[in-house]
Amino acid sequence: MIKKVLLSTSVLVLLFLTGCGQNSPDLSASNNNISDATALSGDTVSINDNAYGNESGGRGNSSSDGFQSLYFNFGDYSISSNMENAISRNVNVANNASGRRVKIEGNCDEFGTDEYNYALGLKRAKAVKDSMSSQGINTSKMVMVSFGESNPICTSSTDSCYGKNRRVDLRLVR
Amino acid sequence: MSLNLFAVDASFKIEKDVEHRSRIAVVDTSPSTNEQFFKILLSDLKISGHFLADTTHNRGELNSKFIAPALKSKEYILRYALTQGSGTKLVVRLLKASDGKELFRKSYSIPTITKAPFLAHKAISDINDVLKYASISWINRYVVFSRYTSAKQSEIILADYTFNYKKVIIRGGLNLFPKWADANQKSFYYTSYAGIIPTLYRLNIYSGSKQKITSSEGMLVCSDVSKNGSKILLTMAPEGQADIYEMSSSGGAKKRITTFNGIDVNGKYVDNDSRIVFVSNRLGYANIFKKSISGSGVSQVVYHGRNNNAVDAHGSKIVYSSRESQNSFGNNTFNLYLTSSLGSGTRPLTASGTNQFPRFSTDGSVLQYIKHSSRGSSIGYTNLNSKQSLLFPLGVKKIQSLDW
Repeated sequence: MIKKVLLSTSVLVLLFLTGCGQNSPDLSASNNNISDATALSGDTVSINDNAYGNESGGRGNSSSDGFQSLYFNFGDYSISSNMENAISRNVNVANNASGRRVKIEGNCDEFGTDEYNYALGLKRAKAVKDSMSSQGINTSKMVMVSFGESNPICTSSTDSCYGKNRRVDLRLVR
Repeated sequence: MSLNLFAVDASFKIEKDVEHRSRIAVVDTSPSTNEQFFKILLSDLKISGHFLADTTHNRGELNSKFIAPALKSKEYILRYALTQGSGTKLVVRLLKASDGKELFRKSYSIPTITKAPFLAHKAISDINDVLKYASISWINRYVVFSRYTSAKQSEIILADYTFNYKKVIIRGGLNLFPKWADANQKSFYYTSYAGIIPTLYRLNIYSGSKQKITSSEGMLVCSDVSKNGSKILLTMAPEGQADIYEMSSSGGAKKRITTFNGIDVNGKYVDNDSRIVFVSNRLGYANIFKKSISGSGVSQVVYHGRNNNAVDAHGSKIVYSSRESQNSFGNNTFNLYLTSSLGSGTRPLTASGTNQFPRFSTDGSVLQYIKHSSRGSSIGYTNLNSKQSLLFPLGVKKIQSLDW
């Protein structure tokens, strides 16, 4: 939904002046003919994108549809032996999901920045995809998306919390 | 809201001889004083690198011929009046301090007082031009940035360079990596996660018209736009491998620029758009490399640090952030360094704190960055010529990406 923003003058004036230790500007119209002034650029739009989530396979920050999330060490994107049971379980779920694709979401902790962190999340998703592919899941049945650091499970400053955020989630999408 | 206009990065010496800058006093003739607006004027004068502004908040009359004796030692006097009626209006007069001769007078208006910072920026930019100093028109530009609001949720926000003005332009959803599409800042690119896979759009900020550019499995970022806006550099991963591609901004085929079986991201045009610099882990850690758009050879740009994970470029100038502590968790020290695609020397730009998201101004003379320190989070600016530095309180949490 796109709409021109209707600014509430009184609220915005208050926002701008908050913190000023002195009187606010004279808001009366006297001596303020702006017709002789150079007008700066016009106002910009405001867009509400809250409908997001219906098409993308959910806004969840964990696996769903019977899949099991996989967790990675700091800065790492390799599949370790302790992930084998989870991978096998996920392969079984994928095999039984006729007509739907598996969305593999790569996630990172908050310590990376910028594009590099999204690429790291993608490497994790790719590692899981390759592992499932090697166990017979057709690559065309899987789609990967990196969410970088945008999708944390928890935000407390503990090692265990950070570890939960370095993960790959899986879910079914059409 | 507090202002911290004159916090200078500890690493910087004020090297430019103050005698080379014009001494100027600012006189507020508004019906009522507005300390915040006055400080924005001071910050504009300071970051220009061309003025040595007296920080006294003088009061006076806009059209009076009287020059206070205390101000006659300055070279210039800037008188201004900020008023609000059917719109917000700013009148400025630039006077020669010695005899009160008017050098410049102009009125500016804007519909709402929230955008008053832009009146200050335009006035100081014009005064700078009148005195024939090197242009500082970059202070008139919008900053566009994305910030996380919750899991898989973000906002894209427009701000003035001081962050005193902020307005959400895309609320809700997960929309990331905004990047200005044209020199006039009428449109920006951004990545939407509304669909199954990331999709790149271009949004006109005045009309709201939105155009789909492309989509990619894995990840998709518009990392840079060519000087004339006709080409864009993308980081995308159609086969699950993050590489850098170039495509026309009007659509069409994509040209793959890098082919490494690892991470290649953050492509930036250098050397008149004939080459790119980018971040790659091809040596086993994040570092800065360059290659020509058409050739195959890749060369290392930075021989310093073990985690250089972000880069920006302008002309032959390159700035990169380097992680200089090894904490797995918690705050790490990230410093910014300036180097060149021509192989000339490298010099540090910051010395403490977490300094990230370096971005050059449109003329390459000023660097913008985000700084986190024990004193809070700020948006910082460093004039690379005058060495003047400014920090403004950020006022928002967890910036995802920004462009200027």
